[in-house]
Amino acid sequence: MSSKVMTMSEAISKNVKSGDLLFIGGAQHGSPSAAVHEIVRQKIDHLTIIALLANTGLLVSEGLVDTVLTGYYQLDEKRSYQLQRARALGKFPRFVEYSHFGIAQALQAGYMGVPFMPTRSQIGSDMLKYNENIISIDDPFGTGKIGLVKAVVPDVGILHVQRCDAEGNAQRWGTLGVDHEGINASKKIIITTEKIVDGDVIRRDPNRTIISGFRVNAVVEQPFGAYPVHLAGCYNDGPGAIGMMTSEEAYNAYMQAAVWGVKDWNEYLENLKKVNGPDFLDKIKIQNPAKSDPVITGI
Amino acid sequence: MPEKKYATDYTAFDQMVISAARMIKNTDTVYVGVGLPMQAGVLAKNYHASNCTIIIENGIVRASLFPIPRATDTLGSQSYAEQLSGLFYVNCLAQAGYITTGFMGGGQIDRHGNVNDTAVGDYRNPIHRWPGSGGGNDVMSFCGRTIVILEQSKRRFLEKVDFNTCPGYFDGKPGRREEAGLPPNTGPVAVITDLAIYSFEDREMTLRSVHAGCGVTLQKVKDELSWDVRIAKDLKDTEPPTEEEMRVYQEKIVAARPSFTIQPPGGRPPGPPAAR
Repeated sequence: MSSKVMTMSEAISKNVKSGDLLFIGGAQHGSPSAAVHEIVRQKIDHLTIIALLANTGLLVSEGLVDTVLTGYYQLDEKRSYQLQRARALGKFPRFVEYSHFGIAQALQAGYMGVPFMPTRSQIGSDMLKYNENIISIDDPFGTGKIGLVKAVVPDVGILHVQRCDAEGNAQRWGTLGVDHEGINASKKIIITTEKIVDGDVIRRDPNRTIISGFRVNAVVEQPFGAYPVHLAGCYNDGPGAIGMMTSEEAYNAYMQAAVWGVKDWNEYLENLKKVNGPDFLDKIKIQNPAKSDPVITGI
Repeated sequence: MPEKKYATDYTAFDQMVISAARMIKNTDTVYVGVGLPMQAGVLAKNYHASNCTIIIENGIVRASLFPIPRATDTLGSQSYAEQLSGLFYVNCLAQAGYITTGFMGGGQIDRHGNVNDTAVGDYRNPIHRWPGSGGGNDVMSFCGRTIVILEQSKRRFLEKVDFNTCPGYFDGKPGRREEAGLPPNTGPVAVITDLAIYSFEDREMTLRSVHAGCGVTLQKVKDELSWDVRIAKDLKDTEPPTEEEMRVYQEKIVAARPSFTIQPPGGRPPGPPAAR
């Protein structure tokens, strides 16, 4: 077995360090929930996170985050127990605000290995007054004002995918949010996957590979690794995908069930089945798979 | 052409969504944000603009019908799309000028169409916080014509926004968008509320019609604005929803709304949406 294949606990402890800048993939789709919960379990702190509409709230509420680079975040403390908790711990993070395209461009620049990307987004807005990573300059080619978004190069990128081989050749489909830019910008890469497949499966449809094995540091097989977020071709949203944990009581109950009271994500999933019935996870699996005609490759 | 039969039983909220949907033309490519813009977009697609292409920021390009999603990205909005890509891709389409129409909400809006999605009061010590731009700034910066849809109140309709998240026409003087570097021929063209419809004349929000059919008066509209609004010379009553519009709206939007909060497991209806 490839030395890259490991448990979630190993993948996180070997690759994520205190003070790291983390890219967390899965904008509104297939977020790496299991991996995020493992970071919480290992209490890795002083993180900077760049994420777009992914479930990163637990990292904030547990006081593990110094800075959030974001385009959209529930910042109304009156309505967010998670922010209230971070405040109470004295660990309320600094939020650096972009537009969504701004986040995508910061990651794209990192992926390209250039220091910034020109943009027509955000310029003229008040975001530039408070975000030193976006500036406006005169276009040296003489077309007038143009914005620049500074590159972000994450220390570690974490992406959950539908399938990946033991070498880390990872394939993901459905909407990609900023996954392609973010994971390719990252220095170290952790892939969590619904299933580890034979390399032959990957090689028959290589256009679908979002990141190549030579770039990947760890591969973790984790079924329902995005739960309760939907994942194309696999499962729908689970209950609690939105609007959960609005009180201290609900938060503590959730943390006990999903983090502190279990050794890993699989135990959490087993407990969900004990509470909600053995077919609980089967019920959210997609009911009507749509299969495309096979992509033909070969010689 | 048969005479239109107008509905009699509808609310100001219904009028807002239906009036917004009417802004979408059959040939448009529409970038829709979460919430009311999505409802208006899906309604237009189901009613008068079946050929429009809908762009959802997470990477969805759809010419085919789809059920109204709980947020924006669901298995339902992904399945049977013509193209699934990413946020970078769809915003490149927009920035390069290929998206005709933007549809967005907002926290506050001002006289010159600037939208605040960020903070009420001082940014560093806000009275209230919204989640921030999301794709709002991108939509307003890039799209050919942007339509803003939001419920109207004096607190939200201001002479000048506290924080300019999504610039409209700045202080209203000519050429401000171009000076800032925003693409030419872009900017807000309409604001649709639960009280009235506004266009922009000389880059200033101008009252075009009042939702009189559901009991809204000009005085009520003025009461829920913080400045002395410019009024079009040919001010009209807003065209009420037709019975047919209301029927489709009830079926495709209102009946689907519970799924915003409760997502039934395996909830995607069977088969390709276009075939139903």
